[in-house]
Amino acid sequence: MAKLLREQSSEVSKTDSSHFNKVIGEIKPAGEQRLQNTAKRTDSWSLDLVAIGARQDREAFARFFQHFAPLIKGYFLNHQGMMMSSTQADELVQEVMLKVWTKASKYKPEKSAASTWVFTMARNTRIDMLRRQSRHNTEVLETEDIWATEEEESPVARLQMQREQKLVREAMVDLPPEQAQIVQIIYLQGKTHTVAAEELNLPLGTVKSRLRLALAKMKIQITQSADEADLLT
Amino acid sequence: MIKYHPNINTLTEYASGSLDTAAAIAVSAHMHFCHQCRKQTQDLQLLGGTMLDNNIAVADIDSSVLHSLMQKIDAVDTKVETKVQPAGHKQVTDASLAGLPPVVAKMIGNRNKLKWKRLTKSLQIAPLTTGQSRAEVSLHKISAGGKVMQHDHRGQEYTLILKGSFSDESGVYQPGDFLLKQPGDIHSPYAAANRDCICLTVVEAPVRFTSLLGKLLNPFLRLSPA
Repeated sequence: MAKLLREQSSEVSKTDSSHFNKVIGEIKPAGEQRLQNTAKRTDSWSLDLVAIGARQDREAFARFFQHFAPLIKGYFLNHQGMMMSSTQADELVQEVMLKVWTKASKYKPEKSAASTWVFTMARNTRIDMLRRQSRHNTEVLETEDIWATEEEESPVARLQMQREQKLVREAMVDLPPEQAQIVQIIYLQGKTHTVAAEELNLPLGTVKSRLRLALAKMKIQITQSADEADLLT
Repeated sequence: MIKYHPNINTLTEYASGSLDTAAAIAVSAHMHFCHQCRKQTQDLQLLGGTMLDNNIAVADIDSSVLHSLMQKIDAVDTKVETKVQPAGHKQVTDASLAGLPPVVAKMIGNRNKLKWKRLTKSLQIAPLTTGQSRAEVSLHKISAGGKVMQHDHRGQEYTLILKGSFSDESGVYQPGDFLLKQPGDIHSPYAAANRDCICLTVVEAPVRFTSLLGKLLNPFLRLSPA
């Protein structure tokens, strides 16, 4: 299953990036190369975001769009429970990028990486859409009321954040396939542990512990809660 | 000092966006009190950003999408938002409810006035409006020194202590503490003697009193999400 997923994905990436290059006319390397490029350019995305926020810089916005829009679209199309056409996905991408445009002035480069910030925008747009689909009244409580993390104040935040980002990226590449698969399914396909367990035909505890192991390798898991017993469920 | 937190899997579902809305309300409210879980969630979102940025399933996007977006932006003359707090986070005027998590304050604001319903001598419940229908979200108030009848849980129940404290067979819970009771868990909470305890409660199915007197109350505990 894991192998299958990866094969499918790499195929998608090949075709898509060539399409993408044709359409946008800019060279975007795929796969490994893309990974390295992003690492190098992490800071420039933050700078672009700041420029959009400070002076509505359209060039920066276009660059930002060309990098993130295909990723966000892939994120929407990949999600379980959201069967949508390419056109619908384009609309959602526009929704996210419009938020980027209007909220960029609130972005604080010392608090979060540009990709983290965009991720939370895309995630909230996805939640919004799912809530509307399940007929939630999304006006009583807006998604941002529930999925808003109050930010931490810390003078060393920026350096620390960059270090963590690097660590996460490096550790991610080295994850054993069965752990990487769970992280993928949970983040990119937006599945709960329970759904992931059902689909992979694994005990729920196995899925939970694989995720925990992966997080520990990326030095994300800093606390243990009192109810570790739920691993057994 | 907060001792009881959502577990890392729950935080991950929150950060990745798959956690059920009602449960997410409880997690979000917990984070208002908990520096550690805020930090952890930021890390989990950083992972999300890294996953997104390295998403190998990129999708072809036509350059007309950017073009039409720019037209939209021009058409509505979208102003870049200034650095103000989002509207809707109304300050709660009731002094006894000051310092509550914004999401809880907003739910109370929606109601204008809380409608406390007395369930037993020491337990009152005020329903909250959340716009979803899977779980019942409410405030529970245990009177100072009061004891809640022993009950078990038919669905998952999230409890977040907002004011005061209560104890049960397994511990003492203070403001910010986050509890998850599984179906079949039985407990009989009692509030500290000196003040009322107010909790945010998210129940997927109504609790069931296990004592004889309590059993008479069970029919009144119908699930009524709002």
